[in-house]
Amino acid sequence: MKTEKPPFLGFGLGLRPQHYEEILSGSPTVDWFEVLSENYMIAGGQPLHILDQICERYPIVMHGVSMSIASTAPLDMDYLRDLKTLAERVNPKWISDHLCWTGVHGVNLHDLLPIPYTEEALNHVVDRVSKVQDVLGRRLTLENVSSYVTFGQSEMSEWEFVSEVANRADCWLLFDVNNVYVSAFNHGFSTDDFLQGIPRDRVVQFHVAGHSHEDDHIVDTHDHPVCDEVWDFYREAVTHFGPVSTMIERDDNIPPLAEVVAELDHARKIAGEVAERAQLTAAE
Amino acid sequence: MSSFKDFQDSFQRGILERDDTILSDVKDSTTESRSVLIGVYRHAYVARLAEILGDDYEQVHAYLGDEGFARLVKAYIDANPSDKRNARWFGRHMPTFARETAPFSNHREVSEIAALEKALSDAFDGPNAEPLAIDQLAALAVDDWPQLTFQPHPTAIRLTFTTNAAAIWSALKDETAPPDLVRYPEPQALLVWRQDFMARFRPLDPEESMMWNETTKGVRFGILCEMVAMFGGEDDAEIRAATYLRDWIDSGLLAGYEVE
Repeated sequence: MKTEKPPFLGFGLGLRPQHYEEILSGSPTVDWFEVLSENYMIAGGQPLHILDQICERYPIVMHGVSMSIASTAPLDMDYLRDLKTLAERVNPKWISDHLCWTGVHGVNLHDLLPIPYTEEALNHVVDRVSKVQDVLGRRLTLENVSSYVTFGQSEMSEWEFVSEVANRADCWLLFDVNNVYVSAFNHGFSTDDFLQGIPRDRVVQFHVAGHSHEDDHIVDTHDHPVCDEVWDFYREAVTHFGPVSTMIERDDNIPPLAEVVAELDHARKIAGEVAERAQLTAAE
Repeated sequence: MSSFKDFQDSFQRGILERDDTILSDVKDSTTESRSVLIGVYRHAYVARLAEILGDDYEQVHAYLGDEGFARLVKAYIDANPSDKRNARWFGRHMPTFARETAPFSNHREVSEIAALEKALSDAFDGPNAEPLAIDQLAALAVDDWPQLTFQPHPTAIRLTFTTNAAAIWSALKDETAPPDLVRYPEPQALLVWRQDFMARFRPLDPEESMMWNETTKGVRFGILCEMVAMFGGEDDAEIRAATYLRDWIDSGLLAGYEVE
């Protein structure tokens, strides 16, 4: 099994079909791309043809939405086989999905559903991650999701649950800065508590995204530019974790490539400032 | 709740059936009630699936309008919980659903526009295969030709329509007014396939449709020529058959041949 920690890739974007032409005809200042695994788990045609060309030019990571790692339904071996086939084609630096479930009884709700943070759920998820890692022959990377509900039966905090999964299953973490911000707002916890609660050596990727404010809660829609509060939290995350491969995630209201590249440059600038300050502090 | 499994059963019923049992597990937040919070998931489930169907069936949406399409989408979502990991396949039952479910079943063109959109999507990301090139046949001996069988390109799909749904689809795609509905006295065939990464379609006249159908069954070219002669008359039958074949090759509709 591949167990070495993935390298720092720099600053990347989610690959979206609206940007295919600009990416292939120009050379955007993007260090790497994250591809949505399910979009390319298809038989053939233009999407895979374009993906092959982008794989030749950029490092790639794969990001899925339907592994349903926390589901109590049996593991979907057909899905894992198709995911592994795509990984053989793409040769990703890592494969990620979400620490959530998407359905039971053969139904997929196409949503990233929340988990009660119990010892029972933890044992179940750890066992599933280990099995998936055996099938894929590599460590999995799991992302914290945004959530809108908390459950009475939870026995620990989200960050304790996430950390325990990573440590016990020996997997990597994708720290979604926006998701922490959204869940902290919705549930009234401190983003700093979450940050401090996550083991530094497990985090291999950041997601940075926009969201939507509803009446008294925030929905993780990925359809807006990144807001100032999330940028502030990103700065704290970079300060805490050090250099981590960072990606702007935009899934709806997709703007021209230049706009998301500009957001990526902003992330680069923040990470650069944090690194410069760390150097100055070390020199003092 | 006694177990994680029971919790997931309850949560899923809370989304799919709007069963409120799950509310006993959910805590109110400082600002929102538990029913509002679980409502975020209930709303997201329907909204996400509706968005998927809207992307997959743009011209059905354009034909029915927002209100009619919303009715179709709601009925489809209620009747077809997604059973695939990949959202790409969620809408695959739409042509059958629209054909069999009132009131849409009273408007056959709706299911036929859906069938065309589904076939175009399936062709777009269907399996790859190198198209048969005319040069590959050039070296064959004259005696081999009657023994030839052909493999269709794996993306090629033949549909039969009872209405001018294809013309309606084309007009809507071009954002022009669709033509009046025409119901054909006999079903008419069309082929959908992918060439140069583009999903395409074109109508088939009855003779070409018959020959294509037989070709996909592995019938040899010599027999195909005889069938064309029986179908449309003996005069120039071989030339007609060869013309269809040449056109299929030029269009990338064939992926290989064998000499039986």
